[in-house]
Amino acid sequence: MVVEANQVVALSSEARLGGVRIGMRAAGVAAIAPHTVILERSLEQERVALDAIAMALLQFTPEVAFADDCSLTMNVTASLRLFGGVRALCRQITAAVLALGFTARLGAAPSAMGAWLLARAERSRNRPLRRRVLRHASLVRQLDYLPCPLLPGAAQFAAWFSGIGARDLASLRRLPRAGLLRRTSKELLENLDRAYGDAVDMFDWIKTPAVFSARIETFDRIELAESLLLGATSLILQMTGWLVAQQRAIRRFSLALEHERGRTAIAPTLLEIALAEPAWQHPHLIRLLRERLAKTDLVAPVIALRLDARDLVALQPPTESLFPEPGGSPADFARLLELLTARLGSDNVLTPACQADHRPEVCNTWVPVTGKPATAQVEAAALARPFWLLPQPLALLVREDRPFYGSPLRLISGPERIEAGWWNDQIAARDYFVAQANDHSCYWIYLERTQAARWFLHGLYG
Amino acid sequence: MFSQSSLAGLSATGSALAFPDVWRASELAVSRVRTCASGHPGLDSVLPNRGWPRSSMIELLLRQGGIGEMQLLKPVLASLSGGQFIAMVQPPWIPHAMACQTWGIEPRRLLWIRPSSSAEALWTTEQILKNGGCGAVILWQSQVRAESLRRLNLAVQSTDTCFWFVRPLACASEASPAPLRLALRPAVGGVMVDIIKRRGPALDAPFWIPLTDQPVSRFSKSTPDVADTVVPLPAADPARNPATTLV
Repeated sequence: MVVEANQVVALSSEARLGGVRIGMRAAGVAAIAPHTVILERSLEQERVALDAIAMALLQFTPEVAFADDCSLTMNVTASLRLFGGVRALCRQITAAVLALGFTARLGAAPSAMGAWLLARAERSRNRPLRRRVLRHASLVRQLDYLPCPLLPGAAQFAAWFSGIGARDLASLRRLPRAGLLRRTSKELLENLDRAYGDAVDMFDWIKTPAVFSARIETFDRIELAESLLLGATSLILQMTGWLVAQQRAIRRFSLALEHERGRTAIAPTLLEIALAEPAWQHPHLIRLLRERLAKTDLVAPVIALRLDARDLVALQPPTESLFPEPGGSPADFARLLELLTARLGSDNVLTPACQADHRPEVCNTWVPVTGKPATAQVEAAALARPFWLLPQPLALLVREDRPFYGSPLRLISGPERIEAGWWNDQIAARDYFVAQANDHSCYWIYLERTQAARWFLHGLYG
Repeated sequence: MFSQSSLAGLSATGSALAFPDVWRASELAVSRVRTCASGHPGLDSVLPNRGWPRSSMIELLLRQGGIGEMQLLKPVLASLSGGQFIAMVQPPWIPHAMACQTWGIEPRRLLWIRPSSSAEALWTTEQILKNGGCGAVILWQSQVRAESLRRLNLAVQSTDTCFWFVRPLACASEASPAPLRLALRPAVGGVMVDIIKRRGPALDAPFWIPLTDQPVSRFSKSTPDVADTVVPLPAADPARNPATTLV
C-alpha cells in the first residue's frame, strides 16, 4: 500500500481484502489491517520507472511520449502490421511491461487523448467498457458514456457539472460551446476536442540518448548471482528498446555488479559478454546472461546493477529467403554455439584444426569454435588412423613378451615409424602397430624408442 | 460398412495398399519416418524403413568403446557432413580429425563438446536438438535416469536430426523409450549387431556387419563363422501366413 500526504493512493489486492480503501488515512489503515506494509510515495522512483518503461517500449514504435499522471502515449499507427495487429501488439506491450516488473493498463484509440481516457476509465457495472477501439465512430460511442471528471482539467468543475446534470462527456458536448468556454477553462474544451479527434494533438516524443547506460538498484542485498537475473532482464529490455530505436545491433555489452560503497567499498564485478554475431533480440541476450550469471560467484552482496552497451553496429535486417532452410538458419546455429560457449566455457566447444605434423597428438589439434576459423587445410594422407585417440598414451603391461590390454594383443600390421619433434625437444620416436585383442577389437599401440622400449596404447579403432 | 467378403478380399490383396495404418506383428513397420541409408546393406535390410530413422532416438549399446561403432556410423556421417554439423557430446576419448578426413567426413563440420558433468551433457544435447541446426548428434553417457531419456526422446522428435545415444551394454536390460536399440559386440573384420528393439518382430540371432576400414589381420579368415548361419529377416516379407513372432 502506498500513501501520499497521509492518504492511501494505491494498494494491493491483499490490502483490499483486508478492508483498506483508497483515500483512507494511514493511521486508520494501521488500525484495520496492522500487517499492511505502508510505503511513502516517491515521485523520483516513479520517474525512474517510467523512464525505464518508455525506453523498453521504444522497441514497438519510435514515437513514445510522456503523458499526464504516470502514463505514456505511443503512436503505433505504423507498427500495427509489423506486430500482427492491435491485439497482438497490446499483448506484447503488456508482456514487456510485466517483464520489467510493472503492470500497465492499456487503451487504444484513434486519438491519443481518447486512448488515455479509455485506459483510465473505471469499469462500471451497468455498461461494458471496451478499452481498444479502432474506428472513430466506436471511439465516440465509448467516450460518450465516460464521466466528466475523468477529463483533465474538469475535476474542479465536477460539482457544477453534476449540478447542471452533465454526467457524461456526451452531455458535456451538447452544451453550447461559448457558454462552456466562459464558465470553464479553454484547456478543458481543447482536451474535449482532442479526445473526440476534432483537434490535432501535438506530442513531445522522447529522444533516445546517444550512449546507453542504465542502472537499477536491487531491493535487497543480493548474495546469489542467479537472483540478479530479474534486475538484469529489465535492463536488457531497456537496452533492446534503445537498440531498436537507434536501428543498431549490439556486439558487446557489460554488466557491472556494484557492491558495498563507502568506507568498505569493493570494486564492482564486471561481466563482459561478447557476441559472435550482432544481436538485438532480448530472449537471446537474456539466455546468455543467465548462463553467465549461473557461473559467476559473487565476492560480496550486490546492491545495484549497471548495464553498458559497448560495441555497436548498424542493424542488418535478416534476408528472408522464399523457402525456409531445413534445420534453421546459420544465425540460429551461431546463437546455439554462443549459448553452449557461455555455459560450458569456450575450451569445451571445439572444432578440429589439423596441423601438418606426423605426431598424432599434434596433428589432431582442436580449437574453440568461436575463435578464428582455421585457414590451413591439411592434405588427407591415405593412412589408416584410429578414430579415437587417448588423451595420454597408456603404458601397457607385458606378459609373455606380448603387450597386454585385457587380453594378450596380437600385432596384425605395422610397424609405422614416426619420428618427429626433434627440433623443439619434444621428440617422439615411436613404432606404431595395429594390434588385435582376443575379442577381435583393434588397438593402435606403439613401442617407445627413446628410452627403454615400452609399449603404449594410443588409439582405438572406433 | 464393410461386408465380410470385402474385408477378406482386402486382406488377401493388400499388404501396404489397403490399410497403411494397420501393422502386422510379422512384418517390419513401415511408417512415414524419414530415414537415412546406413550405408551397410545388411543393416538396412533389418531396419524399419531401410535406414537410420531421423528424429528419433537410436541407442547403441556397446560392450566396450572402440569396437567399430564409429565405423558403423561412418557412411551416414560422411553424407550428412556435406552440409550439416555433427556434434559429439562427451565422447570417451579424443576424436581424431585426420581419421574423419580419411573417411570422407568433413572435419570442419565436426563439433566436439566436452561438458563437465552428466547433467551438463544432457542439457547440451537437449539444446542442440531443440535448435535443430546439427544434422547428427552423438551422445555418450553411461548412467542416465529414465526421465532424462524420455525428455531427450521428446526433444529429438521435434527436430529433423539423427540422434545416436551410445551407452554400455549393461543398459540393455533397462527399459528405454528409444524406438530402435542395437547392441554391438566386436567381431573379426566388422561388428556383431543384435537388435534389441525395433518396430517389428524381434530378431532371433545377432548378425555380422562387415566394416571395410577396420584393420584386418593377414592371417585370419575374412568372415567369421557366425555370418554363415544367420539369415536376417527380409524387410518385405512375401509370405503373409507363417506364425508371427510377437514383440
